[in-house]
Amino acid sequence: MTWRKQANAVLRICWFNGCLGLIRSPLVFVALFLTPVSFLFFLYVVAPRAELPYGVVGGVLFSCLFTGSGMMNDCAYLRLERQMQQVFITSPLRPISWVLGMALSELTFTIPALVLFLVVLTLVTPVSISAFLALIGVIVLTWLLATSLGFLLSTFFRTLREIWPIGMVVFTSLSVLPPVFYSLAAVPASFRWIAYVAPSTFASQLAVSAAGLPVTSVPGAPFLSSVGGQLLGLVLLTALFIGVAMRFARWRDP
Amino acid sequence: MDALVAHSLTKVYRSRHGTARALDGVSLTIRKGQLFGFLGRNGAGKTTFIKIASGLLLPTSGTIELFGIDVIAHPREVRERIAIIPQEGKPFYHLTPREHIQEYLQVRGASSESAKSTADELVHAMGLEPYSKTPAMLLSGGLQQRTLVAMVLATHAEFLFLDEPTLGMDPFARRQVWEVIRRAARKGSTILLTTHYLDEAEQLSEELAVIEGGHILYKGAAEDLKAKVHREVRLHFDRGFTSRELEPYGEVYAEKGGLTVMTTRARVEELTRLALERRSAVSIGPVTLEEAFLTLVGRSIEEDEPGGEWP
Repeated sequence: MTWRKQANAVLRICWFNGCLGLIRSPLVFVALFLTPVSFLFFLYVVAPRAELPYGVVGGVLFSCLFTGSGMMNDCAYLRLERQMQQVFITSPLRPISWVLGMALSELTFTIPALVLFLVVLTLVTPVSISAFLALIGVIVLTWLLATSLGFLLSTFFRTLREIWPIGMVVFTSLSVLPPVFYSLAAVPASFRWIAYVAPSTFASQLAVSAAGLPVTSVPGAPFLSSVGGQLLGLVLLTALFIGVAMRFARWRDP
Repeated sequence: MDALVAHSLTKVYRSRHGTARALDGVSLTIRKGQLFGFLGRNGAGKTTFIKIASGLLLPTSGTIELFGIDVIAHPREVRERIAIIPQEGKPFYHLTPREHIQEYLQVRGASSESAKSTADELVHAMGLEPYSKTPAMLLSGGLQQRTLVAMVLATHAEFLFLDEPTLGMDPFARRQVWEVIRRAARKGSTILLTTHYLDEAEQLSEELAVIEGGHILYKGAAEDLKAKVHREVRLHFDRGFTSRELEPYGEVYAEKGGLTVMTTRARVEELTRLALERRSAVSIGPVTLEEAFLTLVGRSIEEDEPGGEWP
């Protein structure tokens, strides 16, 4: 099958799994809004008003990271319960096209929430066109990182029962514990480097910087305090996650 | 020309609960264009074989080629030419049967027009027209299975792996599916079919293999399998006999409140005379494939004991 046909197949998967899934199950739409909006509401009520823009940026990133959780759930479900992954893999469709199609589907589910948060962001803090484009770049990298991780994890499950505890541990560690919804400044200076164990911290600091909010430095680690260092970190981590997913994802059970 | 050649295929599953040998040196050849039946009990190794042949599972040892291509070394080339109905697969819950067929064909590289016309054809052939706009989640299990079968048979792939394709279907739907499978074979697809419905295997397969405990017990025509058990006739007695009395005549089993014995033509006269003397109603018929299969696999289990399920 030619690359053009592979690209068309990716879009078809996104259409029937993502777009039609969203149109025919509007509850997905509500569910995807609910968690980040709840966090934002909580911040609005309890946090100082100056923290609100961090919460909105957090909502943007949470939505991106959520694509990873969705990818893990959907791919595991389609492989274990429906066996649809097997039907699609045993065809001229390349496995990478299946993964990309599924990843785009997850992005489709998230786009309404992303649009809402980006609109709110422009209301709470001024965002230039270039800053907006930089934010889109961070969104794309975070989506690639999260969906690669989600797909990789999905291939290791043997039963659906295993999904939720592992998903909770991994994606809570990525999206709630690190400074995604709050400023890195809230972490004691000497422990800030620990936050960078989570790849989402690179994404959140880049997004904070792109949104024109004050960026918190990491004492003794100038690399982690600069935009260039954070961008390099996020790009390298995303490439690593994609590489690991491609290398170790179980296309064939051993 | 051979479509599939497996040589000494072995698969050992390892887990913390122990090891299990699902395939044990299976060698099998399927000719191009053949409709081949694969029979065996649950856990006999049928699905493992299909998973390996379609590149979804790696064997522990042995080789397997599809149209001369090494499945283990070149899975991508093999996947270009195959389609599979997995055992107990289910369609997407939110798509209609027509969308399943159309989208799957387009994902496989078909044009929009050809996918649409093939979808129309298959929806009609599989009796899915009344449900063609109903999402799969609202369809019964049998209709969902028909959707999955339609989706895969619509591909006209060179090699079709059908792992229990009529599972959960009513007798009318099964016959409809048989016709579509036969049509795919007439169009040149090679088909490997596993089923627990022995009448289905007999109706569809040009040749079949019986697998038990990871070994091929038999490969050949259904008629020859019946001959292999050296019994041609089955007689059912509603009363007047004990199992011990009938055992010298052949395999005996309890059925419909009486006893059935599978025996040779030469013993029929003697047994019917005994039935008349004992005032027992007797019905006579040819040995079915199911009885031949049970006899063959039953003997194999007796020889292999102790056996058991794999972990």
